[in-house]
Amino acid sequence: MNRNSAIWVVMIIAISVMLAAAPYMARRAGLNNGFEQRDEMKGKLAPEFALESLDGATVHLSDFRGKAVLLNFWATWCQPCKIEMPWFEDLQKQYGPQGFQVVGIAVDDASKEDIAKFAKEMGVNYPVLLGKEAVGTAYGGVPFLPSSFFIDRAGKIVNRVSGLKSRSEIEDDIKAALSQGRAALQ
Amino acid sequence: MQGVAKIGTSWLLLAASLAWGQDLIGPKGPSVTMLPAPIISIPGGKPGEVQLRFRVVRGYHVNSNRPKAEFLIPTALKLDAPTDIVVGKISYPPGQDMSFPFSPDEKLSVYSGDFLVAVVVRPLHTVIPGKYMLHGKLRYQACDKAACYPPKELPVEFEVKVAKAAAPHKGNPAQSPHVHRLR
Repeated sequence: MNRNSAIWVVMIIAISVMLAAAPYMARRAGLNNGFEQRDEMKGKLAPEFALESLDGATVHLSDFRGKAVLLNFWATWCQPCKIEMPWFEDLQKQYGPQGFQVVGIAVDDASKEDIAKFAKEMGVNYPVLLGKEAVGTAYGGVPFLPSSFFIDRAGKIVNRVSGLKSRSEIEDDIKAALSQGRAALQ
Repeated sequence: MQGVAKIGTSWLLLAASLAWGQDLIGPKGPSVTMLPAPIISIPGGKPGEVQLRFRVVRGYHVNSNRPKAEFLIPTALKLDAPTDIVVGKISYPPGQDMSFPFSPDEKLSVYSGDFLVAVVVRPLHTVIPGKYMLHGKLRYQACDKAACYPPKELPVEFEVKVAKAAAPHKGNPAQSPHVHRLR
């Protein structure tokens, strides 16, 4: 092997190593949109927040202590979010008596009036809060919508789902949130 | 030696294309990119049309300039032109009417793949001939089949070459019907 060939081989090996290491380096740099963080949120205490509701009240997560909570991040520009909203309404009616509560957080540049108009058009009766970036960050980042957190009665995150899931998958997570955390409360 | 060089070059090209692909669909979410715009030459005082080509990453779509639902964010270009270059009409292509698994009964007006936005620019007569850079932003909001990403702004820039304004027409001076040559 002459000198030029050796240079080529060294270059190829070096670039191979760089490509192989790229995903690891990206993860180290925190560039993965919170995908890793998602699993890290499971089992942790859901971060407390204080957000304004559409009717002007300040709502804290701790206001729902003792209930299983579905925290749904959505926006008026999110078409898949519109699909879930009627399901959430139905599920609220179905599981509300067992101690379940849906809470929507609008992550939107739209005005409060537009968000209220949208929620009304969608037939939403559960509380809708006006989101702040800091709350999304506290929940590990919300890079895309819809994103939902299922929180048990003790305030622990049972699951996090991003993107539209089927109604049955959502219902399974609600059941899990309702069944967990009872012991911690007693 | 030549064989090693050929294999090495091919491998580097393959690696570069893979890395480029990873960047497009990579961890930062979907993106729209602008392809290099051809530089067009426009004489001062005359309008000219620049075609800007944008590319939506495969698997994603953005709303067209005229989305069908009230709250959807339209794709829109906003340009800040130099003082003596007037930005005229911005024309967007019609969207593709598509339905998605999240809403099979509803058609949305979207762009996917490549789409062209045409911009009319007209340099004033007074502009000194030369190349001028125009800057702006394309606002869009992308979704895939199950999720939507927050609105983004893509920086846009393109160059126009202002040519010398055409000399004013020098025909015969208008003659009054009342003026007659004296014999």
